[in-house]
Amino acid sequence: MRVTRGARIVAGTALLALAVAACGGGATPSGGDPTAGGGETTPVRMELGEPQNLLVPSNTTESEGAELLAAVFEPLVNYDENKQAVEAAAESITSEDNITWTIKLKPGYTWHNGEPLVAQNYVDAWNYAANQDNAQGAGYFFGRIDGYGDLAPGEGKEVTTKEMKGLKVVDDTTFTVTLAAPFSQFKVMLGYTAFYPLPKAAFGPDGKVTDAYGEQPIGQGLFKLDKPYKKGTDQTVDLTVYDKYPGTKPTGWTKLQFKLYNSAETAYNDLQADNIDIQDQLPASAIASAKTALGDRYVDQPDAGIGYVGFPLQYNDEYKDIKVREAISMAIDRKTIAETVFSGTRAPADDFINPAIAGYRQGACAACTYDPGKAKEQYAAAKGPAKLELGYNADGGHKEWIEAVANNLRANLQVEVTVKPFEKFAAILDDLDAKKYKGMFRMGWAIDYPSAENYLTPIFSTGAITNGSNYAGYSNKEFDDLVAKGDQAATAEEGLKFYQQADDVLIRDLPYIPVYFYRNNSGYSTKVKNVKINLLNQVEWADVQKA
Amino acid sequence: MGRYVIRRLIQAIPVLLGATLFIFAIVFALPGDPVEALAGEKRQDPAILAVIRDQYHLNDPLLVQYWHYITGIVLEGDFGKTFAGVPVTQLLAGKLQVTLNLALVALTLEAVIGVLLGLWAALRRGRATDTAILASTLLLISIPTLVTGFVLQLWLGVWLKQAVGTEIFPIAGATQGLKSYLLPGFVLAGTSIAYLTRLTRTSLVETLRSDYIRTATAKGLSRRRVVGRHGLRNALIPMVTYLGADLGALMGGAVITETIFNLPGIGKQLYDGVYLREQPIVVGIVTILVLVYILANLVVDMLYAVLDPRIRYE
Amino acid sequence: MSDNPRPDTQTLTADQGTQTPSPPVKHRKKEAKPASLWSDAWHDLRRRPMFIFSLVLIAILVVMSFWPSLFTSIDPLDARTCELSSARQGPSPGHLFGRDNLGCDVFARTIYGAKNSIIIGVATMAITAIIGGLLGLIAGTRGGITDTITSRITEVFFAIPSILGALLITATFRDAGLGIWIVVFALSIIAWPMTFRIMRAAVLTARSQDFVLAARALGAGQSRIMFRHLLPNAIAPVIVVATINLGGFIAAEAALSFLGVGVQSPDISWGLMIADARSRFLEAPLPLVFPAVFLSITVLAFIMLGDAVRDALDPKLR
Repeated sequence: MRVTRGARIVAGTALLALAVAACGGGATPSGGDPTAGGGETTPVRMELGEPQNLLVPSNTTESEGAELLAAVFEPLVNYDENKQAVEAAAESITSEDNITWTIKLKPGYTWHNGEPLVAQNYVDAWNYAANQDNAQGAGYFFGRIDGYGDLAPGEGKEVTTKEMKGLKVVDDTTFTVTLAAPFSQFKVMLGYTAFYPLPKAAFGPDGKVTDAYGEQPIGQGLFKLDKPYKKGTDQTVDLTVYDKYPGTKPTGWTKLQFKLYNSAETAYNDLQADNIDIQDQLPASAIASAKTALGDRYVDQPDAGIGYVGFPLQYNDEYKDIKVREAISMAIDRKTIAETVFSGTRAPADDFINPAIAGYRQGACAACTYDPGKAKEQYAAAKGPAKLELGYNADGGHKEWIEAVANNLRANLQVEVTVKPFEKFAAILDDLDAKKYKGMFRMGWAIDYPSAENYLTPIFSTGAITNGSNYAGYSNKEFDDLVAKGDQAATAEEGLKFYQQADDVLIRDLPYIPVYFYRNNSGYSTKVKNVKINLLNQVEWADVQKA
Repeated sequence: MGRYVIRRLIQAIPVLLGATLFIFAIVFALPGDPVEALAGEKRQDPAILAVIRDQYHLNDPLLVQYWHYITGIVLEGDFGKTFAGVPVTQLLAGKLQVTLNLALVALTLEAVIGVLLGLWAALRRGRATDTAILASTLLLISIPTLVTGFVLQLWLGVWLKQAVGTEIFPIAGATQGLKSYLLPGFVLAGTSIAYLTRLTRTSLVETLRSDYIRTATAKGLSRRRVVGRHGLRNALIPMVTYLGADLGALMGGAVITETIFNLPGIGKQLYDGVYLREQPIVVGIVTILVLVYILANLVVDMLYAVLDPRIRYE
Repeated sequence: MSDNPRPDTQTLTADQGTQTPSPPVKHRKKEAKPASLWSDAWHDLRRRPMFIFSLVLIAILVVMSFWPSLFTSIDPLDARTCELSSARQGPSPGHLFGRDNLGCDVFARTIYGAKNSIIIGVATMAITAIIGGLLGLIAGTRGGITDTITSRITEVFFAIPSILGALLITATFRDAGLGIWIVVFALSIIAWPMTFRIMRAAVLTARSQDFVLAARALGAGQSRIMFRHLLPNAIAPVIVVATINLGGFIAAEAALSFLGVGVQSPDISWGLMIADARSRFLEAPLPLVFPAVFLSITVLAFIMLGDAVRDALDPKLR
């Protein structure tokens, strides 16, 4: 029993230390005290889920780690209110031919350790990320750069070089990127986590990013971490405004604290009790309460994600007939699902491009309109399968809407529908890869960069069957050609036209059925104001003010 | 006695090896690819997956993987790393504290409330108090933790704070010492309290009917002494058995409570570990839990001998 | 009260809250008639109002399980009876308990949910009581190496946390097509060691009592001692725990449903209903409350039954 007692003493002191730290920071909640939110050093507290990995930009492909890193790093571009990319850490990003891009850096940026930010930092970071030996989750972002194949030759093949030939440093503030093929949307991509630079200090003697760096990343952005983040143990991540940050700093406060939660419902309870200040995604069950409890501190805005129902077109011929897929689509009452199941945290989908992104056309997908009568008729005429199966991953809160869709299909098509939960989305993928699962499946898409193109190539192009997220196995040359034309277009407007034509092909073919668009529903406490959430679902920290 | 303890501890080694191998094998046999699960809903580049698989010896056969794991522990004290690159020992050290605190608070609440209620019900058996206590245990059993946890958090955490102006029960996190653990501890202990209450009541009623109690009463001993010294002590064996077995169950079964109250403990970690097929985490936690069980059971068995002099270990 | 504890045959009836005077118990002479312990118990049970009451409740539940259409005209398996746009509506004529998150009738679902919940509860209880009880009896009686080995095996099972065990088992066999039996299987595997330990502890106590020593001295065989002397003396706590567990199993199924591995739709169970209704509990409590009430009544009925059987089996009461 001595072991136990020892552990308890350690636990006791650790807890005490945390409690003291919390008091020192003034974070101790004290309801009703008007000065509580006032002090400059009282942190603004935001809810965050636990980041999946250590904090290395090129290995961060999920929202929580990205949210944290966005506070620490300054991206090359930001996105303005018109959904356009505008230069941030970059002075200019230009290209004549959509193949060679010249990126000039703004002067004045320094790393949190004092070193100046130079072009080489970008080239180092990107070469590191693309190298398959480093197993970085965001490596695929660099797939369009010339020479990517040398760093990522594929499974079992030797990596022979350390650099992509498409990346060249011109001088300390300029570098060029040469793409393998023209791509008009390249600048739009650059706001993403994967494209952050890395300082010299990030790399160990073996050329790999060190674990120490992953715990306390040195960035060139608005905030720096106060101390290393011990993943799995720490319940908060504390940051302080970096003095030498050249951009706009928040007024009236200098400390930011991320509090880690694993349940959005719990975080919402803490938000109501003023124990946190910002929650960027409220759970559906909290919406009804949030509208009244938070009033105008409740924010509802479009979010770029889409939810679909997909078909295993590649090997199940039952769904081959477009008429069958159309009938299924028309049998789904998207509006009621969005309103009741999601309490308005989703909007009914009517296009393959999301309204948050330029290129969306309202009502583009005619077969996305609820029409049970026509659905039934068309399904019977096309001799659709008498039994349907609908798979989903049980870990993501998808059960209720999938059940609602199943009920729609049962009632409107008069078919037997079974609903099949998988423990993880990867389990669905496995069964699809093994051609074992023949039913429909749910699928969601959160964008990598805010361009209409991102709703097309990664999900529906022929190339994405083996090397992307084309789980349907859909392949249409007409579609592939239109997307390629868009990629090569001289201007963004011209490109968008081709993307919309490709979108029309999808609407005609319905390889997936779009069901809903996500919406961003956030809330904040009485202690802060002017909270804005950008296209990447990240808080615009410089705008936040103490109330 | 000493030799008995040593023998039991030696016997624990095969149990440990058996349990770790069993869990290692079953996690190995689970459908799905651990590395792919990492990538979420986007398909990961197979080349990158291959590198990760190689790093974690995932391509090796089961026994080879197990061998790597065990020799790592024995030779280097290395319990492996998570897929996120965090050493398992570091990860678990922090989380274990939280769960241990939670389980001990829960066990204490369980023992105190359960025994008191059971005692009270037994002494008032057949009366309204007894009925009320038994009815409330039924309620505790039939309402799942996920409901009680959420409702109590809202009532005692949010509404009470809003009503009285200060925080009495923290809503989330483990940063406020014992206070943080009271509400989740109670929620975690809920069903066990009900079981222990009923068990206590039953054993005590049973014991109070025995001849020696009648003798003791006839001898003119005070009621307090009869119940306390003779009744309760003899009724303790099933109760102690239950409590001993429950410690590990509380530690391993705290997923839902830890999630609701945002406590960074091993329950949640274990759940995530299973989903991500992170053998080092799952096996590491199971090893700890096996140890807890073995020690708790040993203590329980020792207590048998203390409580009932007729039971002897040589 | 009982300053003078008396052998009261009715002591454990409190669940029912009755003050009904117990019928006088006839003391029968054990050896006069070759009546077994069980037939003795049966004679005793027939006279207990608590036993009758619990049987009636259980009978109603069983009828509900097998002929749910006697209780409701709505077929919850027909999706056309659900109206998503009226989801979470309160009670209305024709929809006595209101509608759930998907707009389906809560009353009809509760009635139809009885079957799976009761099967899960009863089957798991039976399996754990038999396996755990038998092994506990053997281990406790024989002691020595048998006890050591079985005890170590239970430790392995015990040490694997229940939710982890259930998750692993259901995830591994999710394609086996076992339906709700996978839940029974998973719950049985994780729950039997508890019965084992209770039985073993009770046997250990009984083993050193005089009448067992006497029986042994008289040359009674191992199995006779086990079943004739130890079992009746040790079974009481097992029955009590088993009957309480029954409710626990039905509720545990809710936790499994919450984690996505319990009963799968379109099958209905109370646990599934509770898990589904939880997220919107504050907006619409009724879809959770009604299955929970039915669950409580079922738990109550089986506990009452267990207490009655226990009293009847306890030889000390005769």
